[in-house]
Amino acid sequence: MNLPIVELACIIDDDNVYVNLVKKIIETKKLCNNLLIFNDGKQSIDYFEALLQNLEPENIPEIIFLDLNMPVMDGWEFLDHFTKIKNNFGKIITLYVVSSSINPIDIDRAKALSSVKDYLIKPVNILELEKIFTKSA
Amino acid sequence: MVQNKVLNSIIDDQDIGYWELYNNNSRWSSGLLKQLGYHKDEVEINLEFFLNNLIHPDNRDDFRDNFFGLVRHYLDFTHLLSIKCKDGSYKEFVCLTNDNLPLNAREEAKFIIFNKKKYKSSRKVKKDNFYYRESAEMTSTGSWYVDFIKQKSYWDYQTKKILEYPDDYIPSLKIGSQYFAEEYCEIAANCFLKCSVSGIPFDIELKMLSAKGRQFWARTVGRPVYNDTSEIIGIRGVFQDIDDKKTKVIKLQKTSKIIASQNSRLFNFAHIVSHNLRSHTSNLSLVTQLIEDVDSIEEKIELLGSVKDISESLNATIEHLNEVVTIQTQTNENRIEVCFTNTLKIVKNSIGRIIRESNTIINTDFSQLECIPYIPAYLESIMLNLITNGIKYKHADRNPLITIKTYIEGDNKFFEISDNGVGIDLDKFGDKLFGMYKTFHYNKDAVGIGLFITKNQVESLNGQIFVESEVGKGTTFKIQF
Repeated sequence: MNLPIVELACIIDDDNVYVNLVKKIIETKKLCNNLLIFNDGKQSIDYFEALLQNLEPENIPEIIFLDLNMPVMDGWEFLDHFTKIKNNFGKIITLYVVSSSINPIDIDRAKALSSVKDYLIKPVNILELEKIFTKSA
Repeated sequence: MVQNKVLNSIIDDQDIGYWELYNNNSRWSSGLLKQLGYHKDEVEINLEFFLNNLIHPDNRDDFRDNFFGLVRHYLDFTHLLSIKCKDGSYKEFVCLTNDNLPLNAREEAKFIIFNKKKYKSSRKVKKDNFYYRESAEMTSTGSWYVDFIKQKSYWDYQTKKILEYPDDYIPSLKIGSQYFAEEYCEIAANCFLKCSVSGIPFDIELKMLSAKGRQFWARTVGRPVYNDTSEIIGIRGVFQDIDDKKTKVIKLQKTSKIIASQNSRLFNFAHIVSHNLRSHTSNLSLVTQLIEDVDSIEEKIELLGSVKDISESLNATIEHLNEVVTIQTQTNENRIEVCFTNTLKIVKNSIGRIIRESNTIINTDFSQLECIPYIPAYLESIMLNLITNGIKYKHADRNPLITIKTYIEGDNKFFEISDNGVGIDLDKFGDKLFGMYKTFHYNKDAVGIGLFITKNQVESLNGQIFVESEVGKGTTFKIQF
């Protein structure tokens, strides 16, 4: 398969086991060239804000996978900040919420946000991930 | 006088005896006069004539009170009374007002119906006194009367008994407040004032104070007493000792509160179980997908390492959940007297190394409250969690200083522990602070189980935990037992 590849993807999740597994899938399937990993919302929002000072397109991810339950700054707070700045990157960033919460309140709340492309319930499966990457490439 | 303003007349109704009161008009049905044997020229159609000439003197005062209660405050009544016939004999009537009857009358009109009593009760009358006493005794209800003209209060035997005063005790208006518990004096005074000034009757539940200083719940009912010129000349009423009943109600309310909180904890627990187990099972599912997907044996074996990690975290989660389940099933029966000093000693022993290495100073003051009936293991766990929290989240610039004190405030016992650590932004994290697996700092020791367990332990013994904190200064946890 010679599909176009996503250049940079970003995972924001505090569950290291999950992060390593997704990383493994991405590597095995060659879904993207580079991967950014943050363990909570605060670290990632710091990164994005710094990026705005010095816009280098190759450092802006095309896809973000965001967890909701995280220490320090959770996914919701990240979304608040991110929605305010996402239009300043000059590039479309597709954001997926990936959570183990099956609470309909969480699902509806996330889907109602314009910056959220879709809500994925953990576990994600490999085929689904492949589809998302090919769509965004 | 009210009745002078009233336009009085007779309504031509031969069958029913009644009064119609409408816009200051008073009309009597001819049926009423017929039953009594009077011609309409022989009577005056007004309240004053009725009170002075027709109604039996024994029923006068009560009827007058009921009449004004109806006219002024829409208080319906049922009243057994005797009315004098033309031949001088008395006939018994059951007197009813609108609410007791399905009458399609003008909405504004009030009716007093006089129904002839079907059977004689004169024999019973002699026994009435006995019955009154009996019912007063059995329902713990005492009567009282406050006479504004003579400036005196009267209590019956039962009132004195309820309030534990001797039979020859003379109640006094001036010291009225000493019959009520302090926090209810104002409420009682207000009710009496409103009743004496505006004639508003009252029926309230409040705490009274007996001669022996016993506080008890009493239902207090009072109604204004009017004279012929419709001025309020006193208040008549009853005290009923409802302490047993009220105490049960309060206990029941407390129980239902406990049940509600247990329910919400169980619900919360179900949520936690589902959420926390899901994150592991989803990882497990992901790893099996990957094992199937990768081709080389080496990679498959490498992935088995993740299975081990997942199984370990799954175990840890199950252990945490077990801890929570244990709390849910503990009951108050396991409480024994626990002394704070002893518990602290145990805690200090078990984390002695951490305390020493962090140069932590712990100051304590248990002088106001030394011991408390509690589950010893809980108190240990609570102290351990809160102390280690204070050390774990210490401020980088200073050694941890932890201050612990216990005290009594009102009816409640408190345990308070303060640290000088990094503090926490409660505006941001306040609602999540006691949640499971919530951590707020970049701290590798943070697990997010301690405060959750602490809160559950405190609440399972019907206590409450509060927190105050200032970022950079420190945190104070307060437990109300």
